[in-house]
Amino acid sequence: MEQATSSNGGFLRLEDVHKRFGPLEVLKGVNLDVAQGEVICILGPSGSGKSTLLRCVNLLEPPEAGRILLEGKEITGAGNREGLDFVRRRVGMVFQQFNLFPHKSVLENVTMAQRTVLDRSEKEAAERGRELLERVGLSDKLDEYPDRLSGGQQQRVAISRALAMDPEVMLFDEVTSALDPELVKGVLDVMRELAGSGMTMLVVTHEIGFAREAANRVVFMDDGVVVEEGSPDQVIDSPREQRTKQFLGLVLEH
Amino acid sequence: MDRILQEYFDLGVMFDPDNFDKVIDGFWFTIRLSIVAGITSLLFGLLLAVLRQTPGKWGGLVRGPTIAYIDVFRGVPQLLTILIVSLSLAALASPNLETGEDGVLPRWLGIPEWFGLPAPFWYGVIAITLTYGAYFAEVYRAGIEAVPEGQTEAARSLGMSYAQCMRQVIIPQAVRKVIPPLLNDFIALMKDTTLVSVIGLIEVVQAGRDIQNLEFNSSALMLGAILFILVTIPLARQVDVLIAREQRKTRRGGSGGGDAPSEPPPTTGMAGA
Repeated sequence: MEQATSSNGGFLRLEDVHKRFGPLEVLKGVNLDVAQGEVICILGPSGSGKSTLLRCVNLLEPPEAGRILLEGKEITGAGNREGLDFVRRRVGMVFQQFNLFPHKSVLENVTMAQRTVLDRSEKEAAERGRELLERVGLSDKLDEYPDRLSGGQQQRVAISRALAMDPEVMLFDEVTSALDPELVKGVLDVMRELAGSGMTMLVVTHEIGFAREAANRVVFMDDGVVVEEGSPDQVIDSPREQRTKQFLGLVLEH
Repeated sequence: MDRILQEYFDLGVMFDPDNFDKVIDGFWFTIRLSIVAGITSLLFGLLLAVLRQTPGKWGGLVRGPTIAYIDVFRGVPQLLTILIVSLSLAALASPNLETGEDGVLPRWLGIPEWFGLPAPFWYGVIAITLTYGAYFAEVYRAGIEAVPEGQTEAARSLGMSYAQCMRQVIIPQAVRKVIPPLLNDFIALMKDTTLVSVIGLIEVVQAGRDIQNLEFNSSALMLGAILFILVTIPLARQVDVLIAREQRKTRRGGSGGGDAPSEPPPTTGMAGA
């Protein structure tokens, strides 16, 4: 048996995933094995396909070729509605632009899908919502509307909204890139705590510091493939590949 | 000069109790027709807009006919729709003159007199709904398309179905965005209700014409015009207020929804604009 499989248990498995947008091939065969509870940071220059990879995992972008398995069950494949429902129930996602529902209050943002998708009662959903919003330090904003919140606060609401669905895997797509610098820490703190609680996380980020301390594994992507992966120390401090060195050189200069 | 003033503003004609009551009664029909047809058009238009967005390969079977419907009814004059609806429904509900066979439509449907209102009223509601539903569908569509893609992605990533996402996330935001243009179209709808006079509804225009025929004086028609203006100008101002509010929000970079914050926008130099 392959070493990767035996050490990781294949909780989430990507096999030779391809994705193209018209003539542009964005993912050129990506393999990735994620164990339960593992925190993986995906680094890479813009256009390397890391966001697309994340979006493939919950089928916002269905891959054209290759397979994705979650808990041993294949979720990919044309017309695989069951796989789609399976993955959307188990995988939460947080976006760069927050994407909160502007017509709903903070609490309603967190309760809406609980009510419609999980059929929770209003009381149950609100209870869970309050608990999560308290955890991210927003208990005093329950009735505010998103446009009254700072970007950092909005992003913490978005994280709560995803967590309210009790996901097994969380995807973070450059969640601090749209934030003012002073607001980044609050969001990263929430993510650190989540990582510490044993959540399986795939994090696309430019925050090298976060990757270094919170990730179990760092994946470096470029040009639609995984160039290098390993422990944070190894990939960030002593990268083997030239492309990784170049990228980190540019990022760490600042 | 007196002659001219008298032709348009003869207070004796305008406020003659019989004439005045007739015009007011007619205008009351206009108002009721506008409200009923307005509501049915808004609902029908929303239905058309949603059908027009049906996703997927098979959705084309719904999208195609819906687009065709919208194109056709936006292209046919309202007056023609009113004539076709009223004359054809009445004919289909009547017995065949030669053979004596019953009409194909039941009488309650072909010659509708629901809620004690005359058939021309309901023909007007049906015809206006057919036409304005198509107009409103296009307005809603603009609103639906203006909701950022990220909203759909967020809803879908939370496990919501397409229908749940439409109903709870997209439609509420889309409707909010298009309230000003919908109100604008409602003003047009209101004015178009006067066309129903051609099939014998004594609404405000027909009332004015009847009086004009008796008195050879246009003052009753002018009274009708004044009544219209009393309603449409405040509506138009309301549209302006809503548009201005929306623009303030957009300029501030807010994503819409919720009440406008009370603090002044951080941008400067716009106050005098």
